[in-house]
Amino acid sequence: MTLVYYVNLAMNGLLQGLVIALVALAINLVFAVGRFPNAATGDYITVGGYAGIGLQALGVGSPVLQGLGAMLASMAVAIAGYLLVFRRLFGRSMVAALIASIGIAFFVRSVLSFFVGHDPYVFKIPITRAIVVGGVRLIPTDLWLGAAALVCLSIALALLFFTPLGRQMRAVADNPELARASGIRARRVMLTLWVLVGAVCGVAGIVLGIRTVVAPEMGWDVLLPGFAAAILGGVGSPAGAVLAGVVLGIAQEISTPFVGFTYKIALSFVVLMVVLVVRPQGLFGTLERVR
Amino acid sequence: MDAYLVAVGIILGIYMLMTLGLNLHFGFTGMINFGQVGFFAIGAYTSALLALAGAPMAVAFAGAVLAAALAALPLGLMALRLRIEYLAIATLGFSEIVRVVIVSEEWLTKGVQGLGGIPRLFASLGVGGNAELAYLGLIALANLAAVLIIRRIVASPFGRLIQAVRDDEEALRALGKDPAGYKVRVFMLGAAFAGLAGAFYAHYLTYITPEQFVPLVTFYVWMAMIMGGAGRIPGAVAGTLILVLFLEGSRFLRDFVPGVSEVEMASLRLAAVGLALILFTLYRPQGLFGGYSK
Amino acid sequence: MPRQLTLGRRPFLITAGASALALSLAPRTRAAAPYRIGALNPVTGAGSPYGSGMQTAILLAADEVNQAGGAAGRTLEVIAEDTQTSPESAVLAAKKLIEVNRVDAILGTWSSGVSLAVMPLTDAADVILMNTSGAPSISTEDQRDLVWRFQATNDRFGAAFAEIAKREGVERPATMAFNNASGRGNADGFKKAWEAMGNEVVAAVVYEPDQPSYRSEVQQILAADPDLIVMGSYLPDTTIILREWYQMGGTNGWIIPGWAANPQLVENVGAELLDGVFSVDMVPNIEGEAFARLNESYQAKAGQPAGDNVYATMAYDMVISLALAIQHAGTDAGNLEIVQSIRPVANPEGTAVTGFAEGKKLLEQGEEINYEGASSRLDFDEYGDVTPDFGVSTLEDGKWVRQFVVEI
Repeated sequence: MTLVYYVNLAMNGLLQGLVIALVALAINLVFAVGRFPNAATGDYITVGGYAGIGLQALGVGSPVLQGLGAMLASMAVAIAGYLLVFRRLFGRSMVAALIASIGIAFFVRSVLSFFVGHDPYVFKIPITRAIVVGGVRLIPTDLWLGAAALVCLSIALALLFFTPLGRQMRAVADNPELARASGIRARRVMLTLWVLVGAVCGVAGIVLGIRTVVAPEMGWDVLLPGFAAAILGGVGSPAGAVLAGVVLGIAQEISTPFVGFTYKIALSFVVLMVVLVVRPQGLFGTLERVR
Repeated sequence: MDAYLVAVGIILGIYMLMTLGLNLHFGFTGMINFGQVGFFAIGAYTSALLALAGAPMAVAFAGAVLAAALAALPLGLMALRLRIEYLAIATLGFSEIVRVVIVSEEWLTKGVQGLGGIPRLFASLGVGGNAELAYLGLIALANLAAVLIIRRIVASPFGRLIQAVRDDEEALRALGKDPAGYKVRVFMLGAAFAGLAGAFYAHYLTYITPEQFVPLVTFYVWMAMIMGGAGRIPGAVAGTLILVLFLEGSRFLRDFVPGVSEVEMASLRLAAVGLALILFTLYRPQGLFGGYSK
Repeated sequence: MPRQLTLGRRPFLITAGASALALSLAPRTRAAAPYRIGALNPVTGAGSPYGSGMQTAILLAADEVNQAGGAAGRTLEVIAEDTQTSPESAVLAAKKLIEVNRVDAILGTWSSGVSLAVMPLTDAADVILMNTSGAPSISTEDQRDLVWRFQATNDRFGAAFAEIAKREGVERPATMAFNNASGRGNADGFKKAWEAMGNEVVAAVVYEPDQPSYRSEVQQILAADPDLIVMGSYLPDTTIILREWYQMGGTNGWIIPGWAANPQLVENVGAELLDGVFSVDMVPNIEGEAFARLNESYQAKAGQPAGDNVYATMAYDMVISLALAIQHAGTDAGNLEIVQSIRPVANPEGTAVTGFAEGKKLLEQGEEINYEGASSRLDFDEYGDVTPDFGVSTLEDGKWVRQFVVEI
């Protein structure tokens, strides 16, 4: 196994990691601001993927437009979830919201498969050979997808840290009572939250869909690595979640010569559990008492 | 019709053991365990492998229970230090690790080819008929025993502590009681029930594959518990009954509603599970029997 | 796409009622008891791409038989169930079919886990089981000839792959397998046959289901520099892997099972990628008359060509060969006698027939027949497994065209 081989593995892992980072960010945002783990995140992603396919079927060939459609669709589902379900669970425990989010996940997925069936769909993107630079394979589609993911992550983080709305969201995340007391309007913050989560999920959906196929379980399949990354990064830190996602993605691929392709999928969990034993608040999170 | 109902009863009994175990975890101690299927799998494979290696059934079943309980020990210890939402993900990760190990260690588990020829209980009674009834009887006994054990625990000082842990740990610590040991023991007991369920499962189907031990099973059990009412024993029983009736009942629905194809029925089934979780959480979080809810 | 399954309890009750009325008015002749078929297929779960098509095919075949007057005067009734590709669910479904619906045969179990779990039940009830599973133990566990396999075993596929590789002068083959019994079976079958020829496999990669990418797996196999890759896979993962492979600059040939390398694959990845790919399936399949006839009605009902779902063609053949066997054995024959008639109607010796009506007529005249099916020529060995020849196709003008046939 030469160095170039590992570099290539790392490149695979990087794109993978960027997708996981998107999922982790979506989870982290809801974790921090909404205060619960949202198991429906995966199915928001799936909706995005299918929206892109739907646009393709209607004749819209541009991936950018398909991506925008995906974002809008995921946003719609995310907002609906908030208005119909999560808003009514305000004041209840985190467990209630978690269970409800599982319900939403199943419901969204089954409605989708009811109408479009279980067979996978493919984005008709031209397939081209890689550009090889010193043994390192660079695949054009990958570069575009990676760039899209990176741009989305950057915009999301910038929104969080540099805009008033983002600051309000972080204030609510840190201390809801104080935030309310200082006049931050909860409703607006929550809507912003879900719009952002939807947008991030939509991008994840289109990137995943183009990279592989669109199928009813596609979002659910990346949910667990996303959760692992979010927890690894630590609840209080969206940037941490993103970083953890990328690290996990790369680590998973680089580990394959050592652990094999079957165990690699367990790697993120093993890493997670090891970190939680040593550092229960995650890498960048803040220490909170148990429960 | 009878043989079919007996079969449904057996599956019901197996799920009920798992729900009772989960009930101990969440309903009584408030620990979120999303990895119940992992203990189920450990129980199934342990019992199957022991029986295939020639061990008597009692040893195989005992091995299953023990293995599941032991596997729960490290998780239980982790539960002491983790926020409950982290525990949820960690337990889910655990059950996936279990599944991946089963897939990979083919020399032991035959991996994806599946483990077949698992000896049946009551084989001397033949196939079907009396053998199945005897099996059902044994599972019913196991469930009864589980219920009795849980009731004794709940009524005991240990049990009152458990429920206190669920409701307010700070107060408990102020009283000088340390919940740690209790939490771990309850975790192990709940896992042991799931392991026993796994053993029953393996010896009933006589053929198991890793594909059957997926997180969806855990979520079915969660649904049963929530609907029946977490923390209430009649709740666990009723919830499991609803779950199995629902999963199997939809089969018969097709005979009466000829317009719905099987594909749609499967989507409808999943949609109904999702909807049940949402609606119960919103409007009846204590479940049918008024259990623990937050 | 939603499909109507029109046979079930309610229409049965209606037809039963009508027949009862007709019988009461007709002169006293005893009507032959209907033959009940349980269509137990993977409508959901891992087998879901194939399950509903299989049920459609079974219904079409039953229709064909009933239109021709039934098998030895017995009408075929179909009750459909979903295995959810899970042994546990399948066991309950089988019990319902056997105990509640009182079926005489269960047709179309797909995954090996399901077939193996259902076998003890059907055996105890003297019910015929016809499956499309690959596991070897299905042959050996079946003691009374009640179990019939319409899909070539993994070993046979593997041997066919090895023959093709030898014929093409391959020197450095590698295998890539979906991590389940079928995928692994195909890859292992190839390895066994190839090594028996005194050769070596340069790399063997096993990949997990439902992953967001197979880039690293492809990278590993390409690192061994193979000239051919043998796949044990399904359509979705084949789609993903071929695209990754092409993007990574792969130039080797491929041998892929026909259920994955089908027209849909061409649509998914484009014809250019598939240059140098061999698609392997059982013959006669696409060229046969049985297939052509099935394809017409199947396409109308299912909205896709029968060639996209080889398991559906097998399911169709199950009904037809069973019906011909019933015809051969006579109205009063029970299952243990009916299975004795399966080889006589399906194996060589006899006039070749490709449909039920044709076969029934010849049987009534006392002639021997040989049913050549839509999925394969249907010659059964002593275990009740098909022993097909394999057709090897490559892409010409965007369509799979048979190039040669491999006999093993």
